[in-house]
This record gives sequence, C-alpha cells and structure tokens, in this order.
Amino acid sequence: MTEQLSVQVLPALPLKNTLLFPNLLLPLSVGRPSSLAAVQAALATEEKEIILIAQKDSSVENPAQTDLYTVGTKAVIRKMSRPNDSIIEVLVMGVERVVVLKLETGQAGYLEARVTPSPLPHDTGAEVEALQGAVIELATRAIELAQPQAPPELSRMLTGNEDPLHLTYVLASILSLDLAKEQALLEAQSRVEALRLMHAYLSHEVQVLELKSKIANSARSEMSKEQRDYMLRQQMRAIQQELGDKNSDQAELDMLREQIEKADLPDEVRKEVMRELGRLEKIPAASPEHNVLRSYLELVLELPWKTATEDKLDIGNARRILDEDHYALKEVKERILEHLGVLKMNPSAKAPILCLVGPPGVGKTSLGQSIARALGRSFERLSLGGLHDEAELRGHRRTYIGAMPGRVIQAIRRAKANNPVLMLDEVDKLGRDYRGDPAAALLEILDPEQNKNFRDNYLDLPFDLSRALFITTANTLDTIPRPLLDRMEILRLQGYSEEEKIEIARRYLIPRQLKESGLTAEQVTLLEETLQKLISSYTREAGLRRLERAIGRLTRKFALRFAEGNTAAVTIAPGDLAEMLGPEPFTQEKMRRKLPVGVATGLAWTETGGDVLYIEGTLLPDGKGLTLTGQLGEVMQESVKTAQSFAWSHAAELGIDPKLFKNSGVHIHVPAGAIPKDGPSAGITMAVALTSLYTGLPARSDTAMTGEITLTGLVLPIGGIKEKVLAARRAGIRRIVLPQANQKDLRELPDKVREEMEFIFAERIEEVLENTIPALSSRLKLTAA
Amino acid sequence: MTLFLLSPARQQPDLWHPAADVYRTSWGWILKFDLAGVCLEDIHVHVARNAVTVSGVRRDRLMEGGANHYAMEIVYNRFERTIELPGTLEHSRLRLDYRDGILFIRISLEETDHD
Repeated sequence: MTEQLSVQVLPALPLKNTLLFPNLLLPLSVGRPSSLAAVQAALATEEKEIILIAQKDSSVENPAQTDLYTVGTKAVIRKMSRPNDSIIEVLVMGVERVVVLKLETGQAGYLEARVTPSPLPHDTGAEVEALQGAVIELATRAIELAQPQAPPELSRMLTGNEDPLHLTYVLASILSLDLAKEQALLEAQSRVEALRLMHAYLSHEVQVLELKSKIANSARSEMSKEQRDYMLRQQMRAIQQELGDKNSDQAELDMLREQIEKADLPDEVRKEVMRELGRLEKIPAASPEHNVLRSYLELVLELPWKTATEDKLDIGNARRILDEDHYALKEVKERILEHLGVLKMNPSAKAPILCLVGPPGVGKTSLGQSIARALGRSFERLSLGGLHDEAELRGHRRTYIGAMPGRVIQAIRRAKANNPVLMLDEVDKLGRDYRGDPAAALLEILDPEQNKNFRDNYLDLPFDLSRALFITTANTLDTIPRPLLDRMEILRLQGYSEEEKIEIARRYLIPRQLKESGLTAEQVTLLEETLQKLISSYTREAGLRRLERAIGRLTRKFALRFAEGNTAAVTIAPGDLAEMLGPEPFTQEKMRRKLPVGVATGLAWTETGGDVLYIEGTLLPDGKGLTLTGQLGEVMQESVKTAQSFAWSHAAELGIDPKLFKNSGVHIHVPAGAIPKDGPSAGITMAVALTSLYTGLPARSDTAMTGEITLTGLVLPIGGIKEKVLAARRAGIRRIVLPQANQKDLRELPDKVREEMEFIFAERIEEVLENTIPALSSRLKLTAA
Repeated sequence: MTLFLLSPARQQPDLWHPAADVYRTSWGWILKFDLAGVCLEDIHVHVARNAVTVSGVRRDRLMEGGANHYAMEIVYNRFERTIELPGTLEHSRLRLDYRDGILFIRISLEETDHD
C-alpha cells in the first residue's frame, strides 16, 4: 500500500453540471485555459492525480473557491488525448472522496486544491441491507420502465454489487440525476444516508417513468388510429393520382365554384357564397363542418333567386280551368278571377293572401291547385297543422347540428321558381309553445311589406317572397290569431247542398272512382236516387270525402264482380245499397211530427255542416233554479238565461203565471247529449221552448228557427245560414224563422232550395213566437193592439 | 481456466489491474505480471491461504523536462491484482524475479528446490 498523505495539494478541475463518484470512470472534455493548465499539471506528476470539484453555477467561467462545492473527488487520469490544440480529452477514474480545505489559483494559472480524504464510515447492519434490497428492487423496476430492452447484465450487475455505496454511485451515474442531487449523494455522511437518498431519487424516478409510459401508451393508441386514417388517405390520393383522377375533394370544389360562377345570383348573395366557398376550401373534407357548408352552398345554388315562371293571364282560360276542376263555388271563383284580373292589369301588384275557410272535404286544397294551374305557376303545399316550432317555418341557425332551412324556403326550393302558389294548409291548427309562436313567424312571411326580404335563419340571406301567391286554408277562423287574420283575404267555402253533391259526384267523383277501379261508365250506372240515398243516409258531411269513399266502395265491389267473370253491366238502385254497404249508418234527424209542450226546433252549425237540434225543456214543480244538460257551452248557457229573463219580464204579455218562475225549477236539455255545443244562435229557440213550457202551448213542429236573442227581445243575425237551411231541408222541414239581418245570406243557397223553402224573417222575438206557437199569436196580437 | 480469472467486481475498482499469465509446472506454479515501468521497490507481493496479490504504484518517472503529454494510454498510479489458486499455499515457497518489466513469481508446492 502506498502511504496515504492526510493532506495533499493537487491541481483541481472544476466540473460543469456533473461530478465524478469514487470508483467510477468519467470521460471529460477540457477546454477552459485554467482547466487545461490543471490537467497538464496533473499529467506532469508521477501519479497523474487530479481533484474534480463540481461548480455550483455552471455559468461561471473562472470559478473561485466560493463557486465550488467543498466536497470533491480525487481522481487518476487513466487516458488522455488531444483531438486539437484547444481541447484535452481525458478519462478519469474516481479514487476517493475528498474535502477541499483550501483552493487557490497558483502561479501557473490553474486552481490548486488542498484536500484531505473523507472516507465514509463503514457502517453495516440490518438497515443498510434492507435499504440496499429496496434500492435494487426500485432500480430494477426503473430499468424495466426506462429501457425494456436493457440487457439482463445490467440488473445482475446491480444485485452483484456488494458494496452498497458503490451501488448507489453506479445508479446515480445511470440515472443522470441533476447535479444538486448527485452532490448530495456524494456528500452523504454514511452509507445509510446515501442509500436513503438514492431510494428517494429512485422512487421519484419510477413514478415519473410510470406516468411517462402511461402517457406514451395512451398517446400511442390514439395516434395509431389517426395515423391509420392518414395512411389510408395518402394511399387513396396516390391511387387517384395513379389513375389520373384529380383529387376528388378538389374536383368537387372546382365544380361548386363553376356552378356558382354560372348561376344567376343577386350580387349580395354571390358575395356571401364566394366567401363561404373560400371557407370551404380551407376546411378538410373529413371535418363535419365541411358537409354542413357544402349542403348550405348547394341550397343557395338551388334556390330560384331570379327564376320565375311566366304567368298565363288569360282570364277566359283561367275561368275555364276553375270551372273544369270545381263545380259550384261561384263566389270564390269570381274572387279568384278578380285577382287574376288585377295581376294582368298591374303585374307588379302585390299578390293577395287568400284564406279559404270551410268544412273539410269541400275542395280547399284542390282549389289551390286549380289556381296554380290557371296561372301556370308551380304549386307547393305545406301543412301547418300541429306545427308548433317557429324554427320549422323560419329554419335553424346553421350553427346547430342538423340545421335545416325552414319549410317555406324548402317549398320554394322544390318549386324551382320564386313565384309559386304556396298553399299553407290548416293555418287554424297552428300550435304554439315555448319554442316560439309559428303564427308570429307567419306574420312576417305573409306581410307583403316584410316578405320582400324574408330571412330564413339557415339561409341567412334575404329572399324575396313577395312574388309568391300565398293561399291559406282553415276550417274555422276562430283559432286564427287576429293579426294574422287581418293580413288575409277570407274566402268562405260553404258546405255543398244535396243537389250540388249529386252534381259533383256525377261529374267528378264517380268517373274518378270508376277509373281507379278500372271500370267504365257503361259497366256501372249509379241512379240519381241511389246517389241521393248515399248522400243522405250513408254520409253526413259538408264536404265530399265520405261520399267519395262510399262510391269507391261500391265501384270496388263491382270491380271484384267483374274480375270474377260476371261481365254484365249493372245499375245500382237505392235498394241495393243496404246489401252492398250495410245498414244506413245515419238515421236522419227527421222532423218530429208533433212537438210536446216545452220543445222547439233549433238549427246548429257544425264543422261538418248543419244539424237540426231539438231543445227540450221541462218544469220541475217545487224545484229551484235552472238545470242545463247536453254539454252546453258558456255562451249557450247565457242565452238560456237571457231567454228565461225575457219570458219572465214579459210574463203578462205572454199570459204566463209569474208564480211559475218562483215555484218551479226548469231543466233544459239539448240532445245529442254527448256532443258539446256552443254559440248564441240558439237564443230564439230557447225563448220559444221556454215560452211554450211556461204557457203550456206547443210549438209548430214544421218550423225550425235560429237567431240570437237580446234581453229586450231583439233578434240578432247569426252565421252559417246555408248549412243550417240545408240541414233543415234534409230533415224535411220546409219553414224556417231567421233573423231579418240574415236575409241577404240566402243568396248563397241554390235556387232550387230557395224556391222550396218558406222563410220568415224576424226582427223581434214576438214575431218569432207568433210564427212558431200558433195558439199564442192571438194573445200577442191582443196585447200589441 | 476461469478459475484463475477473477471477476473484476471482487477487485478494487478504482485501481488498475496488470495483466497476468499463469503456468502450471510439475512442482507448482509460475505467475507472470506485466508491470512495465514499475520500480521494483514500488511492488508489493502478498500471499494469503490460496491467493497471491500483487499491488503497487506505477509512477511516471521517465519524463524529460519541458515535455507535455500529447496522448497517454499507459495507466499510472496504484494497481492491484490477485490470483487465486487451487489448494493451499501455506507450505509453499515463493521466488520473485523482475526482468524486462515482467514480474515472475515461482511458487514451489514441495519443500524441494528445483532451480
């Protein structure tokens, strides 16, 4: 053994960012002049010893003692070479830990360190062994994580290392810890401390590595899908290139651009479309946004911004077409023709918004089609029934997923012209909820002042709707919001009379149903009486749908018969109907031959036409108040009270014992009990029924009546005259009492009906009573006189 | 032969280890150590029960004044090499010889001297 000097003076080499542990090799590249001098000096000694000390701050070029740690390593230079003049490369072997006692720059310009060895106590024991085991375990794990392909020798080397200190030093050099940690390890006061430090470093390192590998794993699985897509796309592109195809996306964009350039668009629209096209080109085809934008552009291109059909304004031709398609409806046709006339004289006139109101099946929709045909315009129909979302009409903003233009714009797109006949069906059945009020949106659409610049939320460009002819249909006006109603021109389509129905059936329904069943008029003949029975006993409606269905059923039955080989021509008589269609589903509310006291014949208007209504009243001796049954609405209940009050107040004139009002209750019932009824038009009927009841005189059974009553006995006009008259006639009643003010409405009736019926017009209730309760007339005349 | 070549882990890692040849003879062993440039007085030989250890220091003494190292491959400073041999060496005799930079150690297992 060489003698150990307890204190030595040796050249010192400051190290940046690293240090050397005893018993380990370290290659160094020395470039600083002072360091070069130190290495030269060390090489000039017999034993090639040098002191390596780490710099606290690597940015200091010429460190003094304060810039260096006080614990360093004595090392022997094993090898050296000079790749060029300014650098010396050395391989140093750490020998032992030393404490720097003094450090100063000598005359030769390098640092000289006065050092003394600082060996660690040779501590052993259970704690060291345990720590060593734990460190080896952690280190093995760390190596597995950091380098799964690491040679097994590495971990074997760890376990084979008997000196725990050497083990920690080897690990420290493998782990590339930062300098502060390495220095702390170098300065450890015992093996236990060194092992503890190493254990802490390693557990941190293992955690970091585990996290890293977790991240890497998840990133890898994510990336592999994207990479796969990318690869496939690249391959597709390569194949397309190989085949000489242009990139399909690009080709599509080019096509769009070409279409836009060719399309006849308003300037504002073109500007917007070009901007959107620019955006589209920047969005990758795989992005969902791409499709949204493309379908938007396609919509804009398809819209008829400037395309319009030319109107055929030949009034004679239009009249012919309307008459051809629809029987009767004189007034409605006349109004339509008036509008056509205006359009002809002033093509820029604002088209009126027509509202066809009438019961179902009277031909509102088909009338719209006829108007379009007469005008030579395209026809689009959109049903508003049950629509309760404003966005359905006005569209969704494009930012929403699955956004679509509103129905109006869609209809225009289908029409391929900006002046179609747009039929808004069932405008009275619009819903409304928290999503907005579609009626309010309709206000804008139907206002000629505003719809010039109609902005659909999806389209977000102004579209001129003012050239379209809007026709709305409704069954009733009651549920249409007022402001909407104000914008429309109301055309009422009344129910058809029996004669009209027979005529329509003959002209349109029978030929159509025969054709559908593949029969000819020669093969099947429907007698007029048969049709009459079909209309009165098998259908009850204002329109014609059930009638057409019934005819359809008949023709199909004969089609079957012909198909079975029975080819003889047939004529259907009224008597055959029961056999073919079953028993009559409707028994007519026939005129009651004799009316008991307290019953009067009223007339009601229903959505399916008119009906005869018998109002029945009875006195309840010792009873109290008024009982009403038969699902009477509020207005109807009030008109009963009004009628009762009238009778009470005129008890003397009518010859009624006033005690009756006090001492008995009254029960009024209106059949059919299951059908709700409302309206003021039964007022005079109530008055007649009550008067009959209180006076004990029966009313005439051959007379029906309708009209509103006031407390002072005035008779006010009511609506639905045509339906009511037709209903009375159906029931066999030929005498009707009507309010004086309704006289004008009789024009709506077919001539034949007018001739058949006897109408009595009344201004006051007395006149009604006179004409309905014969026994009372003498009494009234007496008081009047 | 693996028997003779000791794993480096057992040796002091910070020292250099001279190369060695080992010969078997009818009377015992001859060991040769490559110790070029080492002064004889700097060589220590130690015999344990079944191992011979050679240690010492190689000092760079062949220096001309004013010369600077341009390259260095020879390892200086402390060295140590232990050779383990089968069987006990307790009753053997050692003879050292240092010639041309090689240290010879002759180990005679018998009492008799052959040379």
